[in-house]
Amino acid sequence: MGKIHTKKLFVKALNKKFGKDFDLSGKTAVYERKGPTQNARKVEFMEAAKRLEGKRGISGYNPYVHCGGVPLGQRQLVPYKLSTTEYVVEGDDLHFVNNPAMQQMWDDIRRTIIVGLDMAHEVLEKRLGKEVTPETINNYLEILNHAMPGAAVVQEHMVETHPALVDDCNVRIFTGDDNLADEIDDQYVIDINKLFPAEQAEQIKAAMGKTTWQAIHIPTIVSRTCDGGTTSRWSAMQLSMTFIDAYNMCAGEAAVADLAFAAKHAAVIQMADMLPARRARGPNEPGGLSFGFMADMVQTSRTKPYDPAQVSLNVVAAGTMLYDQIWLGSYMSGGVGFTQYATAAYTNDILDDFSYYGVDYAVDKYGGICKAPVDLATAKDIATETTMYGIEQYESFPTILEDHFGGSQRASVLAAASGISSAIATGHSQIGLAGWYCSMLVHKDAWGRLGFFGYDLQDQCGPTNVFSYQGDEGSPTELRGANYPNYAMNVGHQGEYAGISSAAHAARQDAYACNPLIKVCFANPGLIFTWDDVRKGFGMGGAREFRAAGERSLVMPAV
Amino acid sequence: MAYKPQYYPGTTSVGKNRRKHMSGDLEKLRDISDADVVTIMGHRAPGADYPSTHPPLAEMGEPDCPIRQIVTPTPGAAAGDRIRYSQFADSMYNAPAIPYFRSYWGAINCRGCDPGTLSGRQIIEARERDIEQYTKAQMDSEMNDVALSSMRGCTVHGHSLRLDEDGMMFDMLARTEMGSDGSVYYVKDQVGIPLDRKVNVGKPMSEAEVAKKTTIFRSDNISFRGDEGLIALHHMWERRSKWGFRPE
Repeated sequence: MGKIHTKKLFVKALNKKFGKDFDLSGKTAVYERKGPTQNARKVEFMEAAKRLEGKRGISGYNPYVHCGGVPLGQRQLVPYKLSTTEYVVEGDDLHFVNNPAMQQMWDDIRRTIIVGLDMAHEVLEKRLGKEVTPETINNYLEILNHAMPGAAVVQEHMVETHPALVDDCNVRIFTGDDNLADEIDDQYVIDINKLFPAEQAEQIKAAMGKTTWQAIHIPTIVSRTCDGGTTSRWSAMQLSMTFIDAYNMCAGEAAVADLAFAAKHAAVIQMADMLPARRARGPNEPGGLSFGFMADMVQTSRTKPYDPAQVSLNVVAAGTMLYDQIWLGSYMSGGVGFTQYATAAYTNDILDDFSYYGVDYAVDKYGGICKAPVDLATAKDIATETTMYGIEQYESFPTILEDHFGGSQRASVLAAASGISSAIATGHSQIGLAGWYCSMLVHKDAWGRLGFFGYDLQDQCGPTNVFSYQGDEGSPTELRGANYPNYAMNVGHQGEYAGISSAAHAARQDAYACNPLIKVCFANPGLIFTWDDVRKGFGMGGAREFRAAGERSLVMPAV
Repeated sequence: MAYKPQYYPGTTSVGKNRRKHMSGDLEKLRDISDADVVTIMGHRAPGADYPSTHPPLAEMGEPDCPIRQIVTPTPGAAAGDRIRYSQFADSMYNAPAIPYFRSYWGAINCRGCDPGTLSGRQIIEARERDIEQYTKAQMDSEMNDVALSSMRGCTVHGHSLRLDEDGMMFDMLARTEMGSDGSVYYVKDQVGIPLDRKVNVGKPMSEAEVAKKTTIFRSDNISFRGDEGLIALHHMWERRSKWGFRPE
């Protein structure tokens, strides 16, 4: 990657927010207290609520009940620019309820399961004496793409799902065996050689060996109606039925149990682990999703491999949206979502600017990416410099400080930039994590404030877990996740940790951060969300340009 | 040798001010009456009895307990007062206080208090007659500037926002206002309920004065780069990181 010079990337976004003639450095403002009518989206909400009044028979949205009659809009309600994109949307458009792209990002994870095909083929060949050839595999995949959305294959009298309601469902295979891939009908293959840069493709195929895997994406509407734990079950049921049809098996013979066991357990990779009872969620729910898997789901690493900061920033965007807005913001807290904790990390090019600054600093000082010594001194140096740079930008541009109006937002952004820069400088995620914690302490002492009560707790005691060997806290960053003991409750951290995990590997030009199968599975062109450009996807969702799956309007009266 | 707390390192004005806040050795700048403090806090009417949650300790027949023999109850605890709070927001534009140092001040200097620290506000809870005393101490002292610090129980938004054109910290609920006489008045209590009468809390400090009094490091005043405090925290961060690495 060539050096990218930092150019106060946030200035363009601030000009879009405040108007291009606005004094971004001014320390005072005239607050006109225009209320909600200054904002197009709030006006739309009020009009919609008025139209619904008669229908609902009960009062609803009314911004004038806020604060005993002091409505939102006492300060300027400014829009948000999705970082690196031209999308400028209102804050409300980035709430996951209002943003179908955000929902689809999560749906794409929850409805996905990876199932190995080799174990099933061994059962067919060794136990049943069946012949498995590229032709039989093609036939199997044709039947499977009929069955997986919810259609019948071996029973009379069955009800089926409407194909247009489940059209996002698909199953493709991928393999490290180029000869086998060549023999499979193109429509059923995730072509590693075509989708990944040559070096990455070789890394992935070497890691996979000659194994073959199915990337299964069940219908969005199913996982939305049921839950993430359903995905492996739904998938396994259709896989078993398809084997029966494709290989002319007896529906009740004991070998089917072997196929079902492989499909449900032995050959399965869940996207997320099941959580303990106190969190009460099944597999494929966000709390069990590791940072390494999150890093591998995002596909910027294969489309922009020359820009590790950009790769990491897209992972941060995906992670903050899922972990903060959906997992902690709603699943865990029961609130309406911690939208603005997350938006700070993917809007207005602020984290981008700070991160590129840190990377530039490291490149200048240590002679390139991955050239810095892998030690605490590097983390201290880069994190301190990056944090001080960020602090100085907040001080020089009061509109940035106003944009990141909460300390948790600023702490996340400063520490993420520090962590990403340290990880890219060394190619080591643990050094990135050390940089994160160093930044937190620098920030807290410089300004005498950090986040909220609980936010600060994990950052002040956090340095002790960076290199810990203790069983429950000693994992590499890639293997930690949303339910890691010290991270489980606090917003504004988890997405950034995923970004730091990604940064180390993107810097090393690794094809994947944690699991090559996840990386290839999410390269599937049949996925709905824009996995190669997360921020663009969120912008499209906010601008109402994104068409999500799982839509029910086909079978309902028009509004 | 008697222990002498060092509190905070550094030779800058920020370092010195931080030491003053922690030690409680603060200059008194104004004298807001007890009644006015109670009015702004909004928990009880000035002059009203203190509501209690239990009888006075002296009447309760406490168990024989060595801790109780060592620790003298605060006046509020002895009387059985309920626990109440005051919460302050401090502007990042050189307000004298910053949340962590309000908490350190409370934890070190105020008996029986429970400080809580956030980015835009800082709360101290204590027995009612105790918290009234602690609140007055803060409002009267150099910890407070009346334009850049204000008591806000809820809807505290403002610490990071640009200042109003008259130099006041933004407040969505407009609890304070700049009077034509140049003094700042509370017109609502800390949770935004309008007051029957305005409470005059005096004139703000000048820009130059708050720059001298502040405990926040800023690059346009006293920068944290190279400060002794930075060196000290690097030391702590490194020790904490290494402590976690225990392969034995």
